[in-house]
Amino acid sequence: MLLLAGCATTSPLARHTAAFSAATNVVVDNSENAYRVAVRIHDDEQISAIVQKYDTNQPWDPHSIKHLIDAKGLETRTDILNGLKTYAQSLADIANNVQSDQLDAAATSVGANLRKMGDTLNPTATDTAPRALAPGITIAPQQANVVSAALKTLGDYLVNKKVKSGVPKVIRDMDPQIDALCKLLDSDLVVLRRQSGNDYEQLLVQQDMFIRKFGSTLSPTERRAEIKKLPQILARKEATDAMLQELQESIHTLAQTHHALAATAQSSSAASLNERIADLRASGERLSRFYSSLPTT
Amino acid sequence: MGTTAVLQNPATVDAYQALYDSLGRAYWDASDINSKDLIQGAREVIYDIITELDEAQFDANTAALLALKPKIKDTNAVLEKIQTDINGITKNINTASRVVSAINNVLAIVSAFA
Repeated sequence: MLLLAGCATTSPLARHTAAFSAATNVVVDNSENAYRVAVRIHDDEQISAIVQKYDTNQPWDPHSIKHLIDAKGLETRTDILNGLKTYAQSLADIANNVQSDQLDAAATSVGANLRKMGDTLNPTATDTAPRALAPGITIAPQQANVVSAALKTLGDYLVNKKVKSGVPKVIRDMDPQIDALCKLLDSDLVVLRRQSGNDYEQLLVQQDMFIRKFGSTLSPTERRAEIKKLPQILARKEATDAMLQELQESIHTLAQTHHALAATAQSSSAASLNERIADLRASGERLSRFYSSLPTT
Repeated sequence: MGTTAVLQNPATVDAYQALYDSLGRAYWDASDINSKDLIQGAREVIYDIITELDEAQFDANTAALLALKPKIKDTNAVLEKIQTDINGITKNINTASRVVSAINNVLAIVSAFA
């Protein structure tokens, strides 16, 4: 029940941006890992190929190792993924700022200071108390609370206005860029899946060649251990591809989620009435919760 | 269409990949080491071609991603400005609270001399 009540006080925009931010974090972290894994597998393949060809007549220069994605390419991807993460986090922060604790605290503080002022103007009559400065003027706790609530309402209104005038436009303008970005990441993943699959295939054959050509020089235990590596390489190939496929699907979902976010943010007609009602209800419930949290004595 | 464009055509890469996969199956089907050596030699050539095409695709994607970077940066700057404006609203209410508190302090001093 408490959980339901908590959910009801969050606006659709806040909920959607928070969900989008959480999903984006997962995709970004996994994408960065995927690039690192694919680059390492390709390096491993080259090193393995070098070992295999070391004693042949093909000259080998250790400088010839070439990373699958160069430093500039990796840096660009890291920068852009971090930019995407910042974008999603900022959206969520702003959309959820409507429920700002600082705003609540500031509004409460005004009421508390007004009450203190009331006490100063009309101190409780004791022998040591100073004389009342304005005997006819009193500030009751309820009056101070009304001022606090009014300021909270004003603050909420101004913040809401700021969010609703700025954020939907930002999301709409960003939608084609997110779409383009997701298509590029998807293209990267198509290549990563193909290349890592081929790298593992090469590693598999290099291991097989090693066993077939030099297996007779190994002890039975060593030979057994080398043969056992073949299915292990194949299992790693399949696990890597499954991970990259899952990431590819996450990127498709990310693009779709942002489209939905843009569509939700864009709808300002009757179609968005339900959401506006939900916004209004959320605002009302926030205000009610805030008011009931104020002291009455 | 230039040579690079032809090579980067997905159909071209797929054709090379299909050949690479076929040679892979032939490698595992071959029963003697000489046949395996021969097949793998051909397969490595195809592997190198696909790798070069993949690297070229990454380079092309890097260029396209670089073009997207400024837009994301600008958008994040706009969001930061909205956040600053929102913080300003809270700051204004805090200022009101401080003003009331300051008035109260003055009144307390006045009442001491009243």
